[in-house]
Amino acid sequence: MNIRGKLATFLITLLMVSLSFMVFDIFLVVSWNLGTVLRNEQENVGIEIFLKDTVSETDAVNLADLVSEMEGVRSVYYVSPQEAEAIFRADMPEQADLLALLGPQFHLPASIQVTLHPEYRTSERVGGVARTVSGMDGVDDVIYGKEYLPGLTRAVDILEKLVILAGLVLAVSLSLVVANTVRLAIAKRALTVQIMSIVGAPGWFVRMPFIGEGLVTGTAGSAGSLLLTGAVSWMLSSSVPHQFLPGDWIALVLVLGAGSGAAGSWIGMRSGVPKPRR
Amino acid sequence: MVVSFQNVSRFYNDWPALERINLQLEQGEFLVISGPSGAGKTTLFRHIWMGDLPSSGTVEVAGYSSDRLSRKELPLLRRKLGIVFQDFRLLPERTVYDNVALPLQVAGTSPKAVRRRVFSLLAEMELNHRRGSYPHELSGGEQQRVAIARAMVAHPVILLADEPTGNLDPEVSRKVIELLMEINRSGTAVVLATHDPRQVPAGVARFMYLDRGHLVNPSSWDGYEQL
Repeated sequence: MNIRGKLATFLITLLMVSLSFMVFDIFLVVSWNLGTVLRNEQENVGIEIFLKDTVSETDAVNLADLVSEMEGVRSVYYVSPQEAEAIFRADMPEQADLLALLGPQFHLPASIQVTLHPEYRTSERVGGVARTVSGMDGVDDVIYGKEYLPGLTRAVDILEKLVILAGLVLAVSLSLVVANTVRLAIAKRALTVQIMSIVGAPGWFVRMPFIGEGLVTGTAGSAGSLLLTGAVSWMLSSSVPHQFLPGDWIALVLVLGAGSGAAGSWIGMRSGVPKPRR
Repeated sequence: MVVSFQNVSRFYNDWPALERINLQLEQGEFLVISGPSGAGKTTLFRHIWMGDLPSSGTVEVAGYSSDRLSRKELPLLRRKLGIVFQDFRLLPERTVYDNVALPLQVAGTSPKAVRRRVFSLLAEMELNHRRGSYPHELSGGEQQRVAIARAMVAHPVILLADEPTGNLDPEVSRKVIELLMEINRSGTAVVLATHDPRQVPAGVARFMYLDRGHLVNPSSWDGYEQL
């Protein structure tokens, strides 16, 4: 094969590897962004404890201290009736007149806002903390997103499993595609392998350049796929707001590319180096 | 003894490519193996460089036995052989110099020693002016000389030439045979497989004939008169 032919084979192999990896990259981008949305939702998971009107500010602060020492609680914040009113006015200025209509005796209830450690932000654990709190003296009501939290917890759980499962399936199938592409490229150079073997080259001497080539092809192919996916991501960024992959995921794609390329060469060379037939 | 076949048979499925072959080659000997196409000449050669192993019997080459050959020993055995093929089998993406240097490079010879040996051999073979050329830029005769240079570069104990003149015109063929004879005179054992044993002058070599996988006495071989 002449130099031009070799270059064409290399470029075709590179393009095939890049396009194969692009499918994987797009899957990762979608998973990453979906995961970010769900993670943000989970960040907001907390408990709001509304206090009875009879609870004094001192008792409320004591209650907040008590809650802050419960397992799974990260922080507590006491919201006085005055602060609640200020928040209401700031958040819903068009509804502010309602407060005036209800008269000077009406005031919003004091509350304690509780944030939880990340591992306690599941439906079951938040519910457990909420049940304990609701039995405490002075507590009027406890709100913790009972309606949406089970769905959110399930969605996060399913997404995590789906990413791992689909990621594994894609990674394995992708590795096989890349491996086979590299193997076919090597098969075109069977004469080189045969001659090297006949002149007395040891197996490793024959294999090393091909494995190195597979490594380079896999890495360059996966880097090319990241560039292509990055370009698509950039073009879509104004119409579909999203983030590109974080650094460690990019490193994962490159490592997978290098690994599958080297594996392809190794598999190709296993059948490529002639052994004595008995 | 550099090559010894002891009652060697080789079957592909049930088809006998070689049957009960007994053959000895002494150091520095010139052996011509002739016979029609499909007689088993190439199979016999493959057994010498141990690309094939016998179905039964034992092949011993340069101290290595087919019965006990390990994967690590195979490259070591092949470094003691020089092999020339009818279709040259030069690496197309390598220059003449790099093709000839290959056996030394795979054996881990230092670059300086490789350069010295390759330049000297190319000069001997009158190929020095072609050292930067690629195989497709050479004539058939030049390609075969490069193939012979590659086979000889590591000072092999045995040179195997499998129909080396099959693709060459008579004049170039004559020169290739003369080159093989010269190599033999320098002490290297040569085994030549050819359709036409008349290429080698009588008295220079020992002749053997293969017919359908059997070594036969030249005088009893039906095809001898037709050569």
